[in-house]
Formats: sequence, structure tokens, C-alpha cells
Amino acid sequence: MSIRPQPTQHEKVMNEDDFIVSKTDLKGLITYGNRIFIEMSGYSELELLGAPHSILRHPDMPRVVFKLLWDTIQAKREICAYVKNLAKDGSFYWVFANITPSCDSSGNLIGYYSVRRKPRPEAVQAVSGLYQGMLEAERLAGDGQAGMKASLAILNQALEQRGMGYDEFVFGL
Amino acid sequence: MTNLSLGSRVHYLIATALALFLAFAATAVGFKDATFAATTLFLLIFALLSVSLYSVYRIRVALGNLTSRLEEAARGNLDPRITHIKKGSATGELAWALNDLLDQQEAYFREVFSAFDHASRGQTFRLAMDQGLHGAFQDGMHRINISVESLGQVQQMALKEKMISRITDLNSGNLIENLKSIQQYLMSMTQELGVLGEISKETAHEAEGSRSTIEDLVANLDRVTRMVTETNTQIAQLHEKSDEINQIVQVITDVADRTNLLALNAAIEAAHAGEVGKGFAVVAEEVRTLSENTKDAAASIAATIEAFGLATTRMIKDSEQVKELAEGSQTAVVEFLSRVLKFADSAKISLVKVNKVQDFSFASLVKVDHFLYKQNGYRVIHQGADSPEARAIQTDHRGCRLGKWYYEGQGAEMFSHVPSFNRLEAPHANVHGNVQQAVALLGTQWSKDPGTQSRIYSHFEAAERASEEVVLVIDRMVEEQHKGA
Repeated sequence: MSIRPQPTQHEKVMNEDDFIVSKTDLKGLITYGNRIFIEMSGYSELELLGAPHSILRHPDMPRVVFKLLWDTIQAKREICAYVKNLAKDGSFYWVFANITPSCDSSGNLIGYYSVRRKPRPEAVQAVSGLYQGMLEAERLAGDGQAGMKASLAILNQALEQRGMGYDEFVFGL
Repeated sequence: MTNLSLGSRVHYLIATALALFLAFAATAVGFKDATFAATTLFLLIFALLSVSLYSVYRIRVALGNLTSRLEEAARGNLDPRITHIKKGSATGELAWALNDLLDQQEAYFREVFSAFDHASRGQTFRLAMDQGLHGAFQDGMHRINISVESLGQVQQMALKEKMISRITDLNSGNLIENLKSIQQYLMSMTQELGVLGEISKETAHEAEGSRSTIEDLVANLDRVTRMVTETNTQIAQLHEKSDEINQIVQVITDVADRTNLLALNAAIEAAHAGEVGKGFAVVAEEVRTLSENTKDAAASIAATIEAFGLATTRMIKDSEQVKELAEGSQTAVVEFLSRVLKFADSAKISLVKVNKVQDFSFASLVKVDHFLYKQNGYRVIHQGADSPEARAIQTDHRGCRLGKWYYEGQGAEMFSHVPSFNRLEAPHANVHGNVQQAVALLGTQWSKDPGTQSRIYSHFEAAERASEEVVLVIDRMVEEQHKGA
């Protein structure tokens, strides 16, 4: 599992009626995945359990999206994002991910719950253009912090142009 | 195998069968007489029974797992799942089915929670997602979304009303302060105008006094003129009298000449002829006539001289009067001069007061303009981003009346030297910037987004703070301009 799959141009498409469900602990290590998750990712249940969720991270994804995602759920808030995932065989699949924090009865954060649905193709098209620009900015800056900053600026600019917040933006796509 | 005590009835049955089989084998066949085939058969059956026992144990453990998950779910904890599921087993399928059920339930509840959570904040874009949910879960979600939508709309209206009411509060609170600051100027202006009125009244009074002084002065000068004319007439008369005196003196001179000649003739006659008495009598007669003439002339001279003395006396008297009049006029002129100087002073004070009143009045005007600018901003909330009010807002801090006054008008000319002048630009630009940003946000879908609403409110609030500073600096500038006046 330590060896990253080589990304290919092959795309897998989710079923309209399915959703991927997974759970992680506070560090992002997978504690549960449903059968759709196993099917789409191409990993077995045993391979997935205990592995970091980032094994699915596709190199086409801007890093700042995951930073935004982590910052939001660590603040115990819900986040939604369009994500391009990398399967074990190198193919990719787009999802519309919804991640919510899981708390125990006293309100302490105990893990994260993620449901990923089939995204609308128009939304994927819009988002992949935006992501490309952000990724480019991250690559050009070289330095991690500067790259994140430049990438985030592109996202914020897109939001400002539409005059909406991030949530409204992703739900409006 | 040691866990048999945990076992179910099936466990006991199989264990009992195993024990009975062992007992049967031991007694019926016997270990030493056992054939190879019998031994093999025996071991095979033994192994089969052991595997059955283990399988039943595994099934029991799996069912125990399932039961505890279901019990947790029944208690409302949808979080736990069954993991490490063995492929292809009957219990494995059951476990996945249970996981799927829990996934459906948990996704359902989390979606419902998220949608209501957003709707309660007036965000209607976040509906519960039914994609991937099945059957009753999906149906239920449709119904829930109808509620979420209406809740969101109600909440949106409530939030919109709340923001409008907060902004209205902000506005009316500041409006009163704004009007108060204008009122302060109007009061000061009234006071200054009162002082100006007093000065004008005094000036008019002084002017009335000056009029009589001038009239006196003119009358005095008139009298001086008349007296000078009279003096001239008298001097002419004096001149005539002096001619008369000259004529009389001529007569006297003639008489003296003739007397002298006669006296000479008498002396010659007296020496030559003897008949002394005859000739001498004629001479004596002539001398008598002469003496009479001389007497008359002398009398005339006496009278003329008397008249002359009289005229001189009057001339002296007149000239004294002229002197007095001249002195009186001088006093009047000095008094007049002092009044004129006083007028000049009053005019100077009036000018300062008028300047001050003018500054007050202009400061009031720019303040009113400035307040109107803000009011237009507030009006955009109701009138919309395409209204004339919204267009009026587009003027920047250089284009408005205050800006023109400050950068190119009287403000730059008259106030640029006061210390507070430079402090006006930043807050003034801030007022325009913040109102414009608020109005720009009012052009978006602000009524649906509490975030935008709070940003609009913050911009108006910042504009009010900056506006307070603008008013303060204008007051300070006027104050510094008229320090000591």
C-alpha cells in the first residue's frame, strides 16, 4: 500500500443509486468502508482498514482543497467538495463528497463520516477547470505555503466573482 | 473447544454427539484391535465433527456481533459497523446487509440534520441529498426537503427583516446625532447673527449721531462763510471812508498852501505900502475864511475817524467769532473721525462674524450632503441596486460637495493651514468606500445569505464610525479656523 498507483486516463463512473460510505478516526485512518467503496477504490476491505484516507488522493487534486476540508471538519463543521479519487488500478473516479464530524454523547470529536455521491458531469467540468488553475499555481510557487496561498487566492477570486460563499458555490454547481 | 460453556443448544448437541461417538468408539472397537480403515474413519468423523463445532462457534460469534450492532442502533447509536467481514460466508452477507442499513440510516439522519441546520441560518441552497438513499429513506427525504425549503424561506425573511431592522436602528440612532450636530451649528449661527445684529444696531445709532455732528459742522461752516462776506463788505466800506479822508486831507493841504501863500503876500504888502490898514484888512478876511474851512475839514476828519474805529471794532469782533467757529468745527471733525474709526472697527468685527457664520453655514451644508449620501445608501436596501439612490452612491470622496470643497474649493484655500485639515481625507474616503461596498453587496443575493447580510451591516457600521470622525474633524477645523475670534 506504500506504493502509489500510477494514474491512468481510465475513468470509473459511480452509479446514480449508490453512495460510498467511509469512516475514519481523527488521524484520517480508515475504520470502515462500505461495499461501494471497496468496489470503486479497488482495494479489499482489509487493505482499506487502517490505511490513511489519502491513499485515494489523485495528483490532479489541488492540495489546498484538502487543507480546507481538514480545517472545516476539525472545527466540527460539515464540508462538501468535488474530489477526483485515484483507484488502486490507477483509474480515477469523481465524487461529490460530504464529510461530517462524528461526536460522542458528550460532544467530543471521535472521527469523521463521509458519504460520496455521483457528481453531475457539468459540475465536474466546471470544477476541474478551477482545480487545474489552482494546481498550476501550487506547482509554480514551488514552496508549500506560498503555493497554498496562491491556490486559495484563485478559489476566493472565483467565489467573489459569483458573490457567494464556498458552500453555496459547491451546491450551486 | 474450551469455550463450550458459552455454546448454544447446537453446540451442546454436537459436543454431546462427539463425546458419545468417542465413547462408542472406545468401547465397541477398542484401540488395540482397530483396523487401519476403522481408525481412519474414526479420525475423519472426529475432524468433521470438530469443524462443525468450530463453524457453529464462528456463526455464533458473528451473530453476537450483529446482535450487539443492532442493539446499539436500537439505542440510537448508528455509528458502529461490522468490519473484517469474511468473503462469501452467509454471516458476511448478513453483516454487509446490516452495514448497508446502518449506512442508509446514518446518511439519512446526517443529511436531515445538515439541511435543517443550514435552513435555520436562512441558507436554502443546502437541501438534504437523497441520492444513494433507497425506498422509504428517499421518500422521507423528499418530504423533509419541502419542510426544509419553507423553513429556510421563513428564516431568510426573518434574517432579512432582522438585518433591515438593525440597519434602521443604526441609521436612526446616527441620524439623531447627525441632526444634533447640524443643530449645534444652527444654534451657533443664530448666536453669531444675534451679535451681528447688535453691532449693526450700534453702528446705525452711531451713524445717526454722526449725522447731527456733520449737520452742525456744515451749519458752522455756513456761518463762517456769511461772516467772512460781511467782513469783506465792511472792509470795502472802510476803503471808501479812507478815500473820503484822502479828499479831506487834500482840501486841508490846499488850504494850508493858500494860507501859506496869503501869509507870504501879506508880509510883502505890509513891508511895501504905508496904507497898512487897508490891505491888511483884506488879508485878515481871507485868513478867517481859511480858518473856517480848516475847522470844517477837521470836524469831517473826526467823524470819519470815529466811523473807522467803529468798523474796526466790528471787524475784530467778527474775526473772533470766526475763530470760535473754526475751533468748533475742528472739535466736530475730531469727533467725526473717532466715529468713523469706530465704524471701521465694527465693520471688521462684523466681517469676522460673517466669515464665521459663513463657515458654520458651509460646514452645515457639507454635513447635510454627507448625511444624505449615507441616507441614500440605506435607501438602497429598500429601493434596490438599480435605483437612483444606488447611482448617487457611486460618487467618490473627491466628487461629492465635501470632496470638491476639500480638494479644490474654499476648503483647500481657507482651511489647508489648520492642523486638522489633513485628518479629514481618510475617514471621508472610508465613508464612501464602505457605503459603496455595502451597496455592491446589496446587488447580490444578500437576502438569502446571512454571511452577506452581516458583511453589509459591518460596512454600514464602519461607514457610520468614519462619518462620526468626519463630523468631528469638520467641527475641529472650523474651531481651529476661528480660534480667538
